Amino acid sequence: MRFQPITLFLICFLFSCAPARFVKPLQKKEHAANLSLGGPLIKYGTATIPIPFITANYGYGIDSTFTGFAAFNITAALYGNFQMELGATKQLLKQHKYVPAVSITPIANIIYKNKEAKKLYPQLAINAFWGYGKRKNIVYVGVDNWFELASKRQYEIKQKNRWLFMPMIGHSFIQKKWSFNIEAKVIAPNLSNEKLVVDYVTPLKTHGAFGVYVGCTRKF
Amino acid sequence: MKKLIPILFVTLLTSCLTLDDNLFNNAKLDSYKLDGYTGEVDFILDNSYQIPDSLVSIFTLPSQASGESNATSIYAIYIGDIAKITTDTVIMYCHGNKDHMDFYWQRAKLLANTKSKNRFGVLMIDYRGYGMSDGKPTEDGIYADVDAALNWLKSKGLSNDRLVMYGFSLGSAPATKLSAENWSMKPDKLILEAPFASAETMVQDGSGMAMPGDFFTTLEINNGEKIKSVTQPFFWVHGEADDFLNINTHGAVVYNNYQGTYKEAHRIPGAGHSTIPQTMGFSTYSNVIGDFITTQ
Repeated sequence: MRFQPITLFLICFLFSCAPARFVKPLQKKEHAANLSLGGPLIKYGTATIPIPFITANYGYGIDSTFTGFAAFNITAALYGNFQMELGATKQLLKQHKYVPAVSITPIANIIYKNKEAKKLYPQLAINAFWGYGKRKNIVYVGVDNWFELASKRQYEIKQKNRWLFMPMIGHSFIQKKWSFNIEAKVIAPNLSNEKLVVDYVTPLKTHGAFGVYVGCTRKF
Repeated sequence: MKKLIPILFVTLLTSCLTLDDNLFNNAKLDSYKLDGYTGEVDFILDNSYQIPDSLVSIFTLPSQASGESNATSIYAIYIGDIAKITTDTVIMYCHGNKDHMDFYWQRAKLLANTKSKNRFGVLMIDYRGYGMSDGKPTEDGIYADVDAALNWLKSKGLSNDRLVMYGFSLGSAPATKLSAENWSMKPDKLILEAPFASAETMVQDGSGMAMPGDFFTTLEINNGEKIKSVTQPFFWVHGEADDFLNINTHGAVVYNNYQGTYKEAHRIPGAGHSTIPQTMGFSTYSNVIGDFITTQ
């Protein structure tokens, strides 16, 4: 049957391709707008490229350890799907020298096409981060988790995968009003990618996909 | 700028981009080469399967889907003596998603030689947009194209009891639908090789999540449901190592949902999506297909 590769790529990861939103909470009453770009690496002809998924994100510092945010998936919208993330980042631990700060980010990932096609995916990201240097740049490691609430698929087949996890590592370059972010993420390393048409470029070869993302944030 | 933001927002939400155009993996041709085709194929048969030129007819058919104002010209290949369609058993071969009839020529030859040399007539078409056929592939168009082929067979004197419908991969959609519903002809038997259950199952297999198919496609193909209306004897063959259409989530669903009078399953160890005949061995493949056609 062999569909064209880009099709299955979009099917597979349209909904799981976004970098971490706010690893470190904003200051109290601080606003931030973010645009991020990136996705899994695939072979495209002779080149290896990340597919450019685009998301726009807005956050607000409710207090200095708690930031609420909403993100809009522009790529999904281009394909007629309304996809929005509503979430919050809570810093649980402060950094003590080399002991990292820790934050958690629960997210409600809402996707809507029509009455019959709508989904809610709960997400939970857990990150450890270290601030360093004069500008307090941040390096972070963490894991994003997606949860499938449906126990059955079409034809009443049992839904085997109820949990997708995505280990990640990233770095934020902090400027006064702007910050720039780069992140690498292993998407679903527990799932085989061998039954997909796309040639994913991943260190795990037969499992998951490897994504890279860049983003910029303006605080105001 | 402020005025542009809501316009952009509305544009995004009502965007017309669709993945459907990417679903069909058709390729265009200027001419059919058949045995002279040098492009990629799944296998090449030896000379014992050669079809005499006198038994190969290439022609066009008009195909018009409901709601279309004009017919689309599609290409067809008939293997066999057209004058004998009035008495022969004919296999209507609905090919897969890839390329065109040159790619599937070897498979059609194999079916024509099922059981013995030139035993069955075989009709194959290129769906609209495939090979030399005009137009652009659509789901409704594919159904109309296969129906145009059935209409031609009927006009040549074929009766329902001598018509066998064969669908491979994407071809399982028109094969199942036209066997289940009342179109130009009602096939006497249905054979599905590596069928898919539905577009939604493809989405769910691909994503690993229970996502609605509507997020990605407007295709309504649902063989898993449509097969429930098929009453004719049903033959299913699927590779256990199919890395594209999983045997359990696709083929087995179609097989299990069949509620007709007779069904048989052939799960082929080691066979992938495109390697069932080779893995079984051409002779074995030919014999099991032939046995089904001649005894059921």
